[in-house]
Amino acid sequence: MATNEAAAPLRILILDDEPIVCKRLKPAFQKLGHTVETFTDSGQALARLGEAVFDLVITDLKMEGADGLQILNGAKASSPATQVIVITGFATLETAKESYRKGAFDFVAKPFKLRDILDCVKRIEDRRRDLPADSGS
Amino acid sequence: MDTVSALRQWWRGLEADKRTARQEIDFWRLQALFNNFKRILLLNNAILEDMAKMERALGGEYIFDRAFLESSVSGIAHRVHHVVYSLNALTGNRHVDLYDRYQDIRTLLDDILANNIRALADEAVLPLRAIGWEHEPLVGMDLVCLAALPASSQIVPVDGLAVTQEGIRALALVDSDHADSNHADSNHADTGRGLRLAEARIALRGQLRQLAAAHPGVPVAVVASRIDEDESPLQEMGSFLLSPDRDRPEVSLVRLDSPGDAVAERMVLVDPEPGRAEEEDEEGESGAAELLLHGLERIVQLVGEIPTADGPQPVHCVLFVHPQPPPVLAGTIHTRPLPGNPLAAEDGLVIEIASLPEAPGDCFLLRRTHPFELLRSHIAARPAGHRFADGRPASAASMEQPHLGRGSALVDPGLLRDLAESAMLLERFFGAPLEIRWQLENDGACRIARLRPLACEADPGLVTGAAELDETAIVCQGGQTGQSGVGAGPVVHVDEATDPETFPAGAVAVARYASPNLTPILQRAAALVTEFGSAAGHLSTVARELRLPSIFGLSDALDLLPPGTAVTVDGGETTVYGGIVEAMLRLDAMDMELTPQDREYRMLRRLLRFILPLRLLDPQRPDFTAENCRSFHDIIHFCHERAVEELAHFQERRPGLDTLRTRPLELDLPLDIRVLDVGGGIQPGADFRLRPDRIESAPFVAFLEGLTDPRARNSEAPSLGLRDILAGMPHSMGLLAAPADTLGTNLAIVGSEYLNLSLRLGYHFSVVDAYLGEDISRNYVYFRFVGGLADPERRGRRARFVAKVLAAMEFKTSVKGDLVVARLKLMEPDLLRAALLALGALTAFTRQQDTNMRSEADLAQRFAIFAAGFLLPFGAQELWEAGDEAS
Repeated sequence: MATNEAAAPLRILILDDEPIVCKRLKPAFQKLGHTVETFTDSGQALARLGEAVFDLVITDLKMEGADGLQILNGAKASSPATQVIVITGFATLETAKESYRKGAFDFVAKPFKLRDILDCVKRIEDRRRDLPADSGS
Repeated sequence: MDTVSALRQWWRGLEADKRTARQEIDFWRLQALFNNFKRILLLNNAILEDMAKMERALGGEYIFDRAFLESSVSGIAHRVHHVVYSLNALTGNRHVDLYDRYQDIRTLLDDILANNIRALADEAVLPLRAIGWEHEPLVGMDLVCLAALPASSQIVPVDGLAVTQEGIRALALVDSDHADSNHADSNHADTGRGLRLAEARIALRGQLRQLAAAHPGVPVAVVASRIDEDESPLQEMGSFLLSPDRDRPEVSLVRLDSPGDAVAERMVLVDPEPGRAEEEDEEGESGAAELLLHGLERIVQLVGEIPTADGPQPVHCVLFVHPQPPPVLAGTIHTRPLPGNPLAAEDGLVIEIASLPEAPGDCFLLRRTHPFELLRSHIAARPAGHRFADGRPASAASMEQPHLGRGSALVDPGLLRDLAESAMLLERFFGAPLEIRWQLENDGACRIARLRPLACEADPGLVTGAAELDETAIVCQGGQTGQSGVGAGPVVHVDEATDPETFPAGAVAVARYASPNLTPILQRAAALVTEFGSAAGHLSTVARELRLPSIFGLSDALDLLPPGTAVTVDGGETTVYGGIVEAMLRLDAMDMELTPQDREYRMLRRLLRFILPLRLLDPQRPDFTAENCRSFHDIIHFCHERAVEELAHFQERRPGLDTLRTRPLELDLPLDIRVLDVGGGIQPGADFRLRPDRIESAPFVAFLEGLTDPRARNSEAPSLGLRDILAGMPHSMGLLAAPADTLGTNLAIVGSEYLNLSLRLGYHFSVVDAYLGEDISRNYVYFRFVGGLADPERRGRRARFVAKVLAAMEFKTSVKGDLVVARLKLMEPDLLRAALLALGALTAFTRQQDTNMRSEADLAQRFAIFAAGFLLPFGAQELWEAGDEAS
């Protein structure tokens, strides 16, 4: 059962006001079989989070309108099981701490290597695979 | 003590205090100077790291946005400014003009970040062959890619020229009511606008004259493209055919892309002063050029503005102008099949041969990877009486080549493969699927005339692709991304000895070392894998220039990837898969990661043009000046060389240093060396008279070890004759006339990782300036050696001996008479330590050796002895043996 769940593709929402980030992340996850929706407008992304449940949200931190922490809150409010990765080009210890405090799975500073974020998602998949076993024990 | 004595004593004490205070201030100044030098090294290092990161970002390894570009430029610029400041502090403001160069470059970078590419504009017209990536903002990516083709492909582009954005802007100044050149020139002659127009016309006339001379009487095709749209950087605005009349001063202009009747916009322009042009040359090229110029100006009027709600607005266009003889055959290539193409049941590259409207053309589907096999074809039967585009009846072709008949293909498989190879190269350069126009001309050559992005939808079978990937075996994984992207083909092992001509185009090159000598092979390869080398190396930069998928530092690649095996290389993921994985190639072509289609890619590449290239290489050349610095890399290299040069002559330029708090070094040699510590060069608490074991300076320790090595002492008595002494007199007198401190005292200025040593041994004068730490990028040695009593021939021989030793250690060496200057940079600490030890030994070894070097055999023998003792860490076994044989 756990194996089946782990093999299921993830539903991923990517939000960054710089289209290049969405453009480059999307095919990398599609290549691994995941379903990906991308947004460059945080308001639209928040609205989408109210409509559908995502397994993973990857969001920029600093944006016009709702910022990454508001997106994090919105994602968790919509589905507590949703994991959130915060990416930012203005990384400070404080913003990282706050992201973790609010339940972010990881905090990645831009520029980052694609491999870094793929590894991060791999850890999320591993955790999803392990969770049923843990809860059963 | 009487009052006078007390006063004297007080006065002496005061003077002594003053002297001590002055010495201390001098010492602080000295420390400040060395701190400046150290700062230059540190800053240069940080700048080079940032530059490398920016350059690697171009290869697609990092995901970044505009903020990264802004912060990178800001950080690098800040540090470069600091380097310039530090050099001026070190040299007493002898390089203040560097601030101007810094500011010029900084302004250009800020303009690029603000998307103000006008700052980059200069030439109004460029022949295609002269176009490089630096011209991309002026001419667009399609022409850059076309111009890059001849270096890598059998098929070349047409001979043409580009009227750049700057040229269009200038030609747009022509008053449409007074379109004749003389009127317009005189109308604006006294204004800046008029000057720009006049200059653009002169440049354009010159290029058109050359075109007309090379292709007399041939019509000229003109394609106008818009290149100022950020999100879709290449839009065709119109295509035209200009045909100058050879008998009358007329040129006809036909718009080819207008809907409906192709000749609806046919116009005849009349040259107002035909006689003037005819007078210039009898061949008529000037006349033709003048007519073509009129035609181009008319085209600029037609396409240079677009209607908007706020009235007509100028658009940034580029014209590509090329001779257009009636082709024997012409057609298109789609690097991906368009939906609806009957051959496109499977993925591939489609080559179509255009035909007359009443006759269907031939169509071929080829594989997109080497060896570009033909997958499917559709050969149309030619109707009876069919004529080719050049008017030749089809039956004539079958008479010339009896195997041809109705239904035979018009092009042979070899040409199809060549076309496919060129098309895939262009797609890789461009970073997106393309439509490519080609034509077979009367001279038998097939040429590419044009390319533009192919509008094709994303592949709906992406998930299917993912399933195929799951089943694909990974052969090896690791190393660093040189350039992201996917390439596939058979493995070919290569090394420096591989003849690039023998490398099959489209194969995957696998090498042990990332040698720069592999560059020509990269132009033919589909991907590159090396066992050693890094993504910051030269070959990696070349791979990024060519957008060649590449992995550097992948262990055991040669063993894991045997020759002939078909593999697929994913540069971005540093993974090699077994077989040709079509799904990966398909995914890659649809979403080619970071490509020239992305605004950030283009901006990064424009920025790097003013940051990365190092053109100012040789400090010995007269053009090695601040004025000639054209990039930040030039500036920091200039500063580094000038800083090293300053320190190399430091003791000569600042007499009186030995009055500072120097300490005598106790050596078992008849040599008086004074040591001045500027921080961490001597153990704390060491006696005033220093023993060598109390020295902490890493480069000085290594040098002294060599200097005092018994093997470096020459037991053989020097063979010195009166002739030698007389011959040496003027030279040694010159040396003696030098500032006293260069001869009187041997002074070593030391820090924990730094050494600046001026040393006289016998009649030899040497300077060593070195930095030796754990950080390779900061390590260097500067070595200068001069002097010696002997006749010029023997002194020259000694200089060659020294140069030979230095060359064995891979120093960059120059020899002028008996002056040897050598530099070594970017060395591993252990190897640099060995080099400094060898330099110490060399300094002792060469003492009076010139007097013993009576012949070339002597030189070889002494080199063999020295190599056996001190050059083995540099792999000098073979040199030593060679020297042995020679002796």
